[in-house]
Amino acid sequence: MNVFFRELKAYRNSTVVWIFSLCSLVTVFLLMYPAFTRDVDTTRQIMENLPAAVRSALDISLQNFFTIYGFFVYLFTFATVAGAVQAMNLGVGIISKEESGKTVDFLLTKPISRFKVFTSKLSASVILLLITNVFFCTASYVVARMVSTGDFNNKIFLMILITFLFVQLFFLALGILMSVVINKIKSPIAASLPTVFTFFVIGMLGSIIGSENVRYISPFKFYDLNYVINNGQYEPVYIVIELVFVIVAVVTGYILYSRKDIRAVS
Amino acid sequence: MNIIETKKLTKYYGKSLGISDVDLVVKEGEIFGFIGPNGAGKSTTIRTLLGLVHPTSGSATIFGKDITKFGPEIKEEIGYLPSEVFYYDDMRVIDLLKYSGSFYKKNQSVILKKIKELAEYLDLDLKKKIDDLSYGNKKKVGIIQGLLHEPKLIILDEPTGGLDPLMQQRFFDLLREENKKGVTILFSSHILGEVQKLCDRVAIIKNGKIVKIENIKDLAKNTHKRFKLEFFGKVDYRQFTDLEGVSDLTTKDNNVSFLFKGDINKVTKIIAEFDLVNLLVEEPDLEEIFMHYYQTDKK
Amino acid sequence: MNLFFKELKSYRKGLFFWCLGIIALVGSGMAKYTVLKGNGKAVVELMSQFPQSVQTALGFTGFDLTKASGYYGVLFMYIALMVTVHAVLLGAGILSKEERDKTSEFLFVKPISRSKVLTGKILAGLFNVIILNIVTLISSVYFIGYFANGESFMNDILVLMSGLLFLQVIFFFIGTMVAGVSKKPKLSATIATSVLLLTFVITFFININESFNWLKYFTPFKYFDAKDLMLNGGFDPLYVLISLILIILMVVITYVSYNARDLDI
Repeated sequence: MNVFFRELKAYRNSTVVWIFSLCSLVTVFLLMYPAFTRDVDTTRQIMENLPAAVRSALDISLQNFFTIYGFFVYLFTFATVAGAVQAMNLGVGIISKEESGKTVDFLLTKPISRFKVFTSKLSASVILLLITNVFFCTASYVVARMVSTGDFNNKIFLMILITFLFVQLFFLALGILMSVVINKIKSPIAASLPTVFTFFVIGMLGSIIGSENVRYISPFKFYDLNYVINNGQYEPVYIVIELVFVIVAVVTGYILYSRKDIRAVS
Repeated sequence: MNIIETKKLTKYYGKSLGISDVDLVVKEGEIFGFIGPNGAGKSTTIRTLLGLVHPTSGSATIFGKDITKFGPEIKEEIGYLPSEVFYYDDMRVIDLLKYSGSFYKKNQSVILKKIKELAEYLDLDLKKKIDDLSYGNKKKVGIIQGLLHEPKLIILDEPTGGLDPLMQQRFFDLLREENKKGVTILFSSHILGEVQKLCDRVAIIKNGKIVKIENIKDLAKNTHKRFKLEFFGKVDYRQFTDLEGVSDLTTKDNNVSFLFKGDINKVTKIIAEFDLVNLLVEEPDLEEIFMHYYQTDKK
Repeated sequence: MNLFFKELKSYRKGLFFWCLGIIALVGSGMAKYTVLKGNGKAVVELMSQFPQSVQTALGFTGFDLTKASGYYGVLFMYIALMVTVHAVLLGAGILSKEERDKTSEFLFVKPISRSKVLTGKILAGLFNVIILNIVTLISSVYFIGYFANGESFMNDILVLMSGLLFLQVIFFFIGTMVAGVSKKPKLSATIATSVLLLTFVITFFININESFNWLKYFTPFKYFDAKDLMLNGGFDPLYVLISLILIILMVVITYVSYNARDLDI
């Protein structure tokens, strides 16, 4: 447990910064919603003047967009990217931080199994992510509630918010996998930022055109928020994909970590 | 009981050899030295015993328990002092030491007391930040960290580098104190004088293999004595060079110096023929003995 | 200079992968254009009537998506994001590397001044940045040409790439400046990328809500906005001036602070 608490302490400051940034981002953005609703009215008027066929086609894809959910969802994508970077940093750090700080010898010659070290650090990271999520979701919910003008379905909003955690867990696992495969990651952010952005861009490109395959690759697209809004549930396929990946990555990470030779510091 | 026992312990890093068929026995209560040239396999052996590195083949037990299966359990009673000390920069010394102590099942307040005792003895400020410490002071943290839980086995890897002479003395005194209580010590070092002063037995490792295991006392006995002679007049040194058992002979003016192994009476009989100004017979220190092992390849 | 070549060598592999990544990005991005080609005209015309915020939110930002170059303008935002990430990490990293890897003691006792070290590293960094820019240029020209309908786009692309280069250089020096000032090597990468992300978020807010327009001076992405560059036919001299001043300022701060502060050993 001592390792667990030390990890919490070590990441305390950076987690606070993340929480603060995410909540500020969400708040500022949501406060623009009222202005946006005016634009929405203008848009609706324009749409009145369209031929019926075009209107109905557009209407379907735009309908959700005009609600508070739709508006929120747009920001949410960017917030998720940020959250993914936070999670991947933690994941990479689980294994790489001791290596690059050369404190491996200290830790692993103590009467503690590698399994315990690994799980303590993993648990600490998960707790940190959970804490971040609690603050983020609360802030989002409160502000969204404040600015929302129409109906507000708690359940759907919550479901959208929880995907934040899902994406983070994916990148946490990915970070672990990467750090156990690549031996010395001296700067976690130099590894996580480009990786997260790559997945994001892949997802974005796919969605501009509506390519379905991209959804299997980019975790940002695992959870189609329009679907959630319309149907009130997630698509099971993607839940499975995520679960499988996370489990495989974590288990692989642990196995490789226990087998690893820790060579003398140079 | 044998505290450490290895059976054909072997480690290959990929294709390159770390150690091969290492058989070591360290008995309870002894101070066991471990020396060898750079890259010989000292660190590899120690790191394998500590579970940092997994053996390719062979086995080892500490306290009678297999190192692979009972790793964490064994480490409750091991104190490790590494040569390179790196700790978490953001912590204060006392925090790091308390954190270190928290891994052991022993009474934490007893550990805390020991920390304070050791820190005072070694003259280390507990409130300083790790980041602000000099190398030598970091080494002191390393020493305390290795001893604070009163382990039954202490493994040292070149521990005195960076310590000033006074601290080195205190450190050795600490080790001797522990040893008197029955603690076993495995001591890897390059500083042969230290090994000579402290150890009961010593193992020499080279190119991954154990070359020799001897008692310190026997080592000196079985090896050469150094003779330094100064004569009154010129002397025909061929009598010495021809003598079997003489090596490393040097001459300067009326002086001759050589190593001799064998029945010293043969030497004294020759010397008796001459008029001496000065005669010195020395037992070579460990350095001279071991340099021999370090160098053998070059012949 | 020995330092210059050593730095180049150490970034060789990383640069290679970044170039591959950019080529893949441009290629796959443009490949998806074929889906849009021809279909989009009506939708595009329609979209341009919607308020700015709705357009942005839907991903249409005033480009003529039926033209390859127009589509590229949308893609450009993502390209810009990736290359600026590269630039900022490079800038921060190339400086903080010595302290992070504890090689400061080796390097700075050699008969070479800190400024000379800086110059060597900065030149090596800029070299990397320029290479990435050229690779982006070549792959863009190639892929747009491949998928386009024979429209002329060279001018547009050249303008965009020059703007991109400005962006890269600005963020590179933001990286070096942060690393020059900060005593904690690990922190500098984080701070520098946070600055990048902040400016990106500001850009995004500006697009969503016109009342944020005054913020545009705070984000370099707005100095070289694809839409402005392509539709307004070139650089806005004011922005170019601001950029140059910023760059000079940051270079000076980098040199002064790196020389003045204690190195973290």
